Order: sequence, then C-alpha cells, then structure tokens
Amino acid sequence: MEWLTPLTALYAAAAAVPVLLLLYFLKLKRREQLVSCTLLWKRAVQDLQVNAPFQRIRRNILLLLQLLMLAAVLLALGGPLLSRIAAPGRRFVLLIDRSASMSAADVKPTRLDDAKKQAELFVQSVGAQALFSLGAKSDLVMVIAFDDHPKVMCNFTSDKRQLVAAIEAIMAGHGGSSLAEAVVVARAFAQSPGLEPDSRTTQEPARLVLFSDGRIPDLKNIVVASDELVFNCTGRSADNIAVTAMQARRTYESPDEINVFATLINYGYEQAACDVQLSLNTDVRAVRSVTIPPRSSDSGPDANEPGKVALNFTLSHADAAVIEVRQLQPDALSCDDAAWAVVSPPRRLSVLLVTAGNIVLESGLRASPLAKLDVRSPAQFDAMDHAALSVDQPYDVIVLDNHVPGSLPKCRYLIFGRPPAGSDVAVAEQVENQVIVDWRPKHAVLQYVNLTNLFAAKSFRMTPPRDAEVLAEFNETPALVLVRRQGSTFLIAGFDVLQTNWPFEPGFVLFCYNAVSFLGTEAGQKYQTNLQVGEPIVVDGLTPGATARISGPYLPGTEVTATPAGSIRFSGDDRVGLYSVAVPDQPLRMFAVNLLDASESDIKPVGEIVMSGQIVQARQQPVSRANLPLWPWLVGLALALACLEWLVYNKKVRI
Amino acid sequence: MSQSKTTVSRKRLTDLLDPKFMARLDSLDVLSRKILQGKLQGERRSKRRGQSVEFADHRPYVAGDDLRFVDWNIYGRLDQLFLKLFLEEQDLTVHVAMDASASMSFGEPSKELFIKKLAAALAYISLVNNNRVTISAFADGVQAQLANMRGRNYLPQMAEMLLTLGSEGLSHFESSARQIAAGRIGSGIMIVLSDFLFKEGFDTGLRRLMARQYDLYVIQVVSAQELSPELSGDLKLVDIEDADAAEITVSGALLKYYKRTLTAYCNELKDFCTRRGATYVLVNSADSVESLVLNYLRRIRLLR
Repeated sequence: MEWLTPLTALYAAAAAVPVLLLLYFLKLKRREQLVSCTLLWKRAVQDLQVNAPFQRIRRNILLLLQLLMLAAVLLALGGPLLSRIAAPGRRFVLLIDRSASMSAADVKPTRLDDAKKQAELFVQSVGAQALFSLGAKSDLVMVIAFDDHPKVMCNFTSDKRQLVAAIEAIMAGHGGSSLAEAVVVARAFAQSPGLEPDSRTTQEPARLVLFSDGRIPDLKNIVVASDELVFNCTGRSADNIAVTAMQARRTYESPDEINVFATLINYGYEQAACDVQLSLNTDVRAVRSVTIPPRSSDSGPDANEPGKVALNFTLSHADAAVIEVRQLQPDALSCDDAAWAVVSPPRRLSVLLVTAGNIVLESGLRASPLAKLDVRSPAQFDAMDHAALSVDQPYDVIVLDNHVPGSLPKCRYLIFGRPPAGSDVAVAEQVENQVIVDWRPKHAVLQYVNLTNLFAAKSFRMTPPRDAEVLAEFNETPALVLVRRQGSTFLIAGFDVLQTNWPFEPGFVLFCYNAVSFLGTEAGQKYQTNLQVGEPIVVDGLTPGATARISGPYLPGTEVTATPAGSIRFSGDDRVGLYSVAVPDQPLRMFAVNLLDASESDIKPVGEIVMSGQIVQARQQPVSRANLPLWPWLVGLALALACLEWLVYNKKVRI
Repeated sequence: MSQSKTTVSRKRLTDLLDPKFMARLDSLDVLSRKILQGKLQGERRSKRRGQSVEFADHRPYVAGDDLRFVDWNIYGRLDQLFLKLFLEEQDLTVHVAMDASASMSFGEPSKELFIKKLAAALAYISLVNNNRVTISAFADGVQAQLANMRGRNYLPQMAEMLLTLGSEGLSHFESSARQIAAGRIGSGIMIVLSDFLFKEGFDTGLRRLMARQYDLYVIQVVSAQELSPELSGDLKLVDIEDADAAEITVSGALLKYYKRTLTAYCNELKDFCTRRGATYVLVNSADSVESLVLNYLRRIRLLR
C-alpha cells in the first residue's frame, strides 16, 4: 500500500487530534435544571461511580469512537492506494488514438470511449501533488489525441481535473492513424518547460502510454526505447465490411453515362453476405446482394488477406450528381459503410482563341469536343468590351497566342508566349535551346502527355510568384506555370508553339484538350470534389473576401472568408460524408469526403505492435485493475463510526 | 361583619376542599390507637378515670379523696368507705405539622397544594369532631401556627392560614421539630406532612416528635417528577432551596441508580418509623387527596 498525499494527512492530524482532545478536556456547558433536592442525585452519582469500576472507560467510549473516526478520515486524506503503477515524480504522455477504426462499436460504446475510460483511470492512479507537501513531487501527465495528425489536448500538468476534462474533450475522428508525428510532438513537449513551476525539462524522458487498437500504419517509422512506450490495446472483434474504393466518372464516348466502381472488403473470418445500395442524389437506384469471402486463414503470401468484391454500376444521368454506395449490413464500424462521389455535369466549353494566325493551335483546339471556338485577332480582342467579358463570361477559356493585352477580363487563360502583367509572373530576356528536364505527369493538365522530346528554340525566362504551380521545367526556365490571380486562372507556356517541336508530338493535342478541360471545369474539379478525410476542401476563383458557408455531417454551418487570391481552404472535414459549400450568387458546390482506407477499415485489434526494431506487447491487464484507491472505504468507515457513536450516545442518554 | 368574613373564608376553604368531599368528611373521625388523655371532656374514652357516667371500678377511700365520689350505698351495707371510679371521656389533640419549605413548591402538580389539601381535610375532620387541632407550618423553624382550635368555628381561620401560607425558605427539620415538640400540650395524634428530603437527615427531628402520649403519623409526599425524573443530557441540577448544584450526565445507569437511591431512602424512613411505632405513608402528589383520605387513611386506621 502506498500513499498519495501522506504529508497532508500528517498536517491535518497534527491539527485535528489535539483539538479533539482539548474539546474533551474542556468542561461541558451544562443546562441548569431546578430540582427539589439534590440529595438523592448526589447519592445516585456517588453510587454509580462506586459501583462501576470501568465508568471512566465507559464514559470515554465516545472519545474513543471519535478518535477512531478521526483516524479514518485522516487516513483517507492520506490517499492510500493498494498498488501503484508508477513511482511518483515521473512524466507520462498519453497518446490516444482517435482514428476511424477507434469508432468501432465492438467494445461498447466505442473503442475510443473505452480508451478514454482507461486513460482517465490511468490519470486517477498517478501520484498527485500533496497539499502543503514540500519534498514529494507529483506525476506530470500530458494528453495527445491523434489521427492523421496529433492534437495536444493538454500540456504536462498534475491537475487531474484538467487532464480528465482534456480526455473527455477528445472527439472521434474518421481519419487514418499516424503515430510518428504524435511521438515527435510528445518528445518536443517533454523537452520544453511545462506548466508546472518546477518544470523538470530534460532530466528524464517522458513515458509514452498509447491507448489504441494498434491499427497504425506508420509504426515502422518510430524508434522508441525499450521501456519508453506502454501499449494499452482496446477492441475485440475484426468483423467489418467496408467500402474501400469507389469511383464514379462519365465515359468519354457518351458523357451522359456514369460508371460507378466500388470495392467491398470483408475483414471478418466468416463469409459475409450483404446488400449494396446505389443512390443517386439520395434516390435509391439499385440494390445488389453480394457475398464477400472471409479473411483468408492459410499461411502464405496472402495470409490474413481479407476477402474482396468489386462492383460495377452504370447509370444514365446528364446532370450534376451525388452518388452514394452503401453496404447495408450493420457492423462494428459505420463510417466506412458508405462512400460518396460528386460527378460534375457533362459540359461543352466555349473557347476564344486570340491569335494573329496559328493554324497549329487552332487545329489542336478544334480537335477537342468544344461547344464553340471563336478566333479573333489581337486587335479585335482589344476592341471587345472587356467589362462585359468579365461579367457575362461568354467564354470558358481564352487562349492568348503571343499577345499581351492591356487589360485582362476575369477569365481562365491559356497563354502561349510572353506572360501578361496581371499574372504576376516576372519575365526576363528570352533564352534559347531549351529542353524539358522535368514535368508533373500526374497533373490533370499533363495527363497522358509525354514531354520527353519537347524542344523550344526560344522561350521567355519566367520567374513565377511563390504560390504558382510549375508544371513543367526547361533547363533554364519554367516551361508551364499555373497561377491564380484575382479570380482569374492563368496557364502560361512561356514560348511560342511554332518555335517548338511540340506540334509534331501527339501530346500537343492531348495537352490542348487537358488544358481547356482543366481550365474550363474550374481547375480540375473532378479531383477536388472527391476527398479523403482530412484533405482540405479548396475552392478557387471566388471574389476576394467573399463568404462561403460550409456544411457537412456534424458541421451545422461554418462561415469561411475567401483569401485575397479568391480561394478558400477548409480542413475541418474530419468526418466522412457530403459537405456543401454555399457561396452567395453561385450554385452549391458539393464535396464528398470518404474514408476509403483499407488499413483503417481493418479493425482487427493488434496484440503487439512492431515499431522500428522494437516489439511492444499490449498490456494484458486493463488499467482499471492497476490500483485501488482506499479512501472511499475509509470515509465509509468514518461514517459508520459516526453512526455507532450516535447510537452509543443515545443509549447512554436514554434507557 | 363576622358573617361576611365567614362567607369569604368559607369560599376560600372550598378552594382547597370540594364541598362534596367535605360532606363525606363529616362522617369521619380521627382515631387514636392509644386512648389518650385529653384536657377537656371530649367525645372519647380516656384511660384516665374521672368524671363520667361510665362506671369503672371501686377503690378504698383514703384521706383527702373527694367525698362526692364516695359510694354511700356500699358504706350502708359494708360500713366501709369506697370511692366510685368512672371512665372519663376526654378530647383528643390532633397536631398537623406541615412542611412549608421551598422544596414543596416543586412538582407538577405541586407537593405544596397536595399537602395543603391533605392538612385541610385532616383538620376539618378533627374540628368537626370537636377535637383540639393545632396546625404548624415549618421550614427553617416554625413559620406559622394555629394552636388549640376546637369546633367548626375555627374552619375559616384554618382555611385562611393554609391558603395564605407560602412555600419558601430552607428546611431545617430538627430545629422545627424541637419547636413543635416544645409547644404541644396534652396527648393525641401528631401528623407530619413533608417530603422528608432533608439534607441533615430526618431521624433527629422525628425522634423529637415521638413521645409517649402522641401517635405519630409520617406522611411522605413525593412528586411524580421525583419518582421518575424525565431528564436528559448534561445537566447542572440546582437545589431549589439552597442553590446547591450537582452536575450530572443523565444516562440510563444514572437514572437506575437514582431510583434505587430514592427507594432506599423511603425504605429507610419507613423502617425508622415502624421500629418506633409510628405509621409511615408514602404518597405521590399526583394522586388524589380524596381517595387517600377516604380509603387509605381509613385502612391504616388513622380515620374511622
């Protein structure tokens, strides 16, 4: 048995016991009562004293009971514990996993709640700062919750109420798990002064206490000392059916048709049958029964591989659509039962080509399926009403071929040649004989475009602003730059097409198609409307200072103001579901936020976690059994003694 | 004048005694176990032979005897002088000594009222039967006394004395008894009404009141609150007379010991009286005077 606050009890005892004894030494203040004669009473008292040799002891049984009661209270004040899990004066960092898999309900109510409960028990069991204590140091605890990113809930403190409040405040997230960053943060805090006045900064390393189900992909990146980390595992079952992949897209040939692909995985050890429901804008369009094989139990390369089923739906819908794929079998983890996709409407673009005559560019653009392609000379373009162009937006994309107009209406531009002043791209002298050294083939603009052989006889040396995206680089200058300025988007190729070998490359036509589609559909909406949990929602091309209202699951509506560059970024989408961004005078933008994470959906609890070269076994005993505070029993004993004292007193006073 | 005074006084006597009760008292008389010599010819037999109609005996004449009592018929037959002796009927002195110290005011109903009622009833019976009645109230010595009353005429006076009598002062039984004993004359009945809770003890006082020619009746009046006190807690008991204090913590054991002490005290008094031929009666002040007088005192043959 150990004591949390022994000095407090000692001080209290030093004060209380003499006071109690003093009370007994003081004479009682007696009530006066008239009697006809005190003769008999005096004789009776005399008789009583003479006939009862143990009278003094019997009278003092009240004192004895009170002393016992006081002792019980004082012992309770000392905070006795049956056993302790740590010596006092140490520091702990509680790392609490709040990733999607911790929302699994196989432990009631959820794994996260179980972990929080264990963490609170841990906090209750560490040594507290004793009142008036001079020497004894209390334990310091810090709380970090983590999913993809760590979040410090509470810095090092010994205030248990604050710690419990911090643990209570941890909300379940739907993100993945990444422990490495959390460990880095914990160590950083452990080496900086804490909130306590006697901060023990780097004297000893803080112990890490992990509360998780062990489904953490980046464990291999973490190096811990042999006894630095304690792992408390939560979770029981592996049964979960998840939608781990989903994609919806229009076919190239017939834009009205939408193909939906989905993958379902059964993580359980038994074959699962479930219904998969396909909804389009909340209307159920199809329900399909599927049977998913169980997790393989044979040894071999695919040991423990969960069973997989791929599904394919085809829909016909010519408008913007929100598609939901949902498996209807109830299981432990609900946030991976559905996935959503936002499909933009099929759109034919109107393009204005401003050129003094460029047959290559014109035919490249004509090869794309456009609604309209107008060709104007630079003089004609300058003569157009630029204000009307800004407001009415008759063209989705304006292609400037070697023309730098005086003013630029708000639009999306594909520019060949010298960058205009409004794009903030500084231009120096022209450089010659440029070859491509690098490009971003995964960017929407350069999808399927091979620039390996691109050679430019002359190109402008461009210095893009810091926020510009450089999509391709020549040996001396950026070749393709994407800049967003004041509601306009500029895709700038700093060279004349006719001074390159690009027209002879098959990629040129693809580039024209990609660039016009990308710019026309507002900077590759397809990629940004379907997000993973935690990825920021980004909307560009807004009026600077405009207010957007973002709503989503567990998010009643948050106002976000656009930056001076006309874009908003919102990273509060930590729950799966559909988010909407409402901008005044603009159509509602929908964003689908999905888990789609096969490793996070695998909720099988892990008994041991393998760090980099270190295996940490999960603690066998739950934290709750670690120690038992005895003070409630002592307080109860004191109460019982008080009752007994009352009884004795009454028995003495009455018959 | 005298009539109005009597009316007022009679009214006041009824404050003590119920008229119906008085009517029943009329049929009672005080009885002495010894036939005692009285001063006047009373309504009872006396051991003393004297002038009476009831013949007792003859005795030879000696010089100096009253010639009126010589039985001349005998002298005629026997030629010898014999004197006729008669049993003389004499009066009886009833002396009621009542405690009037402050302790008598204690109790609910108070012992004082009980004692006054009892004294009034006894005096009433005695006066109605033409006995000589003396009432003495004592505390620290004799406080008030009405001596040698005889006949109904004294009833208002007796009532007034009882009703104006207060209970105050220390009790000093021994000196009071000495005064009472010195002041009494003749023979008769001595009735002492008190709680007998005297710190100096009751024995010397009672011993003084015992005399060959007096029947002694000791009536101890105790209140219900003294018999079974209803006290609790830590108390400082203050004596109503001398302000003497006793600090007690009331407990079951203490109450048990108190009752035991009280019983022992009463038994001691009773033994003292019995051993010396006196009659002892213990009365609770909460009991009715009527039933005590009409039943109990007749049973112990104080009254008939």
